[in-house]
Amino acid sequence: MTFTIPIDNGDAVKNAEADSQRTLYPYVTGTSIVAIKYKDGVLMASDMGGSYGSTLRYKNIERMKAIGKHSLLGASGEISDFQEILRYLDELVLNDNMWDDGNSLGPKEVHNYLTRVMYNRRNKFNPLWNTLVLGGVKNGETYLGMVSMIGVSFEDNHVATGFGNHLARPILRDEWHADLSFEDGVKLLEKCMRVLLYRDRSAINKLQIAKITEEGVTVSQPYSLKTFWEFKAFHNPTAGAEGSW
Amino acid sequence: MFRNQYDTDVTTWSPTGRLFQVEYAMEAVKQGSAAIGLRSRSHVVLACVNKAQSELSSHQKKIFKVDDHIGVAIAGLTADGRVLSRYMRSEAINHSFTYESPLPVGRLVVHLADKAQVCTQRSWKRPYGVGLLVGGLDESGAHLYYNCPSGNYFEYQAFAIGSRSQAAKTYLERRFESFGDSSREDLIKDAILAVRETLQGETLKSSLCTVSVLGVGEPFHFLDQETIQKVIDTFEKVAEDEEVEAGDGEAAVAPAEEGGDGGAGAGDQDVAPMEM
Repeated sequence: MTFTIPIDNGDAVKNAEADSQRTLYPYVTGTSIVAIKYKDGVLMASDMGGSYGSTLRYKNIERMKAIGKHSLLGASGEISDFQEILRYLDELVLNDNMWDDGNSLGPKEVHNYLTRVMYNRRNKFNPLWNTLVLGGVKNGETYLGMVSMIGVSFEDNHVATGFGNHLARPILRDEWHADLSFEDGVKLLEKCMRVLLYRDRSAINKLQIAKITEEGVTVSQPYSLKTFWEFKAFHNPTAGAEGSW
Repeated sequence: MFRNQYDTDVTTWSPTGRLFQVEYAMEAVKQGSAAIGLRSRSHVVLACVNKAQSELSSHQKKIFKVDDHIGVAIAGLTADGRVLSRYMRSEAINHSFTYESPLPVGRLVVHLADKAQVCTQRSWKRPYGVGLLVGGLDESGAHLYYNCPSGNYFEYQAFAIGSRSQAAKTYLERRFESFGDSSREDLIKDAILAVRETLQGETLKSSLCTVSVLGVGEPFHFLDQETIQKVIDTFEKVAEDEEVEAGDGEAAVAPAEEGGDGGAGAGDQDVAPMEM
């Protein structure tokens, strides 16, 4: 099965004009995605922010989308590259559906396809500047994996991108266990998202939680978390080091 | 079929709407030595007759592994068959690499059929002169397809192609309704019995046939001569005993699985020695 790669005017490494066609740095970016496997499938959380550098420019960006019948894709990083990936996957799912033969792409297949795309782009020095989280359920088997912009790809019981790796994963390593109920799973994700909200400057307090089970995908309406700013440590943060912030 | 003025080019229609070159290609399939395929819900067995050019040479390979879950048996121009098998392997492995998942056999046969169709619509090409029995798995279980030089493909419960395949088809037509629920062993036995039909009188030996199996949880592999011979022994011996006992003037008896004691007494010298 072939996939189209955007046409460039030559090897980006050797040809100067080709530079204008390749990704040099990201512009509008989404921050962390956090996802966990639970009893019935996968739960994924993301906020709805799109930052333009240090400005929190866009506050209604959906960074999680359903793919086909069995998968859910979340992305952090460059939003326009995420939209490009959605176009590729659209074509992939369309062709799969056109076969109309009872076979369908599962989350493992989509994950591997994305790994190939990301790695191939990285090899051309024209990466899609995203870290992708792919979760899904097919025939009772739950799948959760991740692909980075350089094509590093793996599966795990819980994954996170960006700051989530540093702030959320430690919480998940301690508190995740197999067969979480839906309520416990959501509580766990909200705990991670709250920490990210406090500590990640590109996070906004408007998040969505998506769930994927054998039945399909549901993405929640946006909502915000209750925050508490009266912690003693927040009161006088520079107490130990005058002049810092 | 006789020569006529519309059969030079594959791109020439006859006034009756036929493409004679394509039909001639299908004749080539009928000339090849027999290949047989049958399937149950979970397994596919492909078997073929080993024909050698002469006593001095080895026999041609007619069954190919395409992937762990797909095998193909060919009849006709074996060179064309080899080339198409290579194409199938390439498709299967490319899919596997991109999606880390086995290519559904139903999709592979469509690619194959489309490839064959191209050769029926280009004036500088000729149709592939080989018929392919493709057996494989997909999400809904085991499937058997027949791909034709015309670019058509059909799904079958059981089928036979090549020379004297009609005898095998007749045998299969009698039994195919039970194949769906057959055990793996029964399926293999039926395949070998179908091969025997195409030999029409020649004694069935394991060196004369090649048998391959694939199924859910069982990757494609060939059965070794020993295993095939053991299966042959179970029914050849039965036929043996019946013959010998009939020779003694006794009434028809229930076939015995193990060495017929009653038969041994007759001591027929012309029969190949059987292991007890």
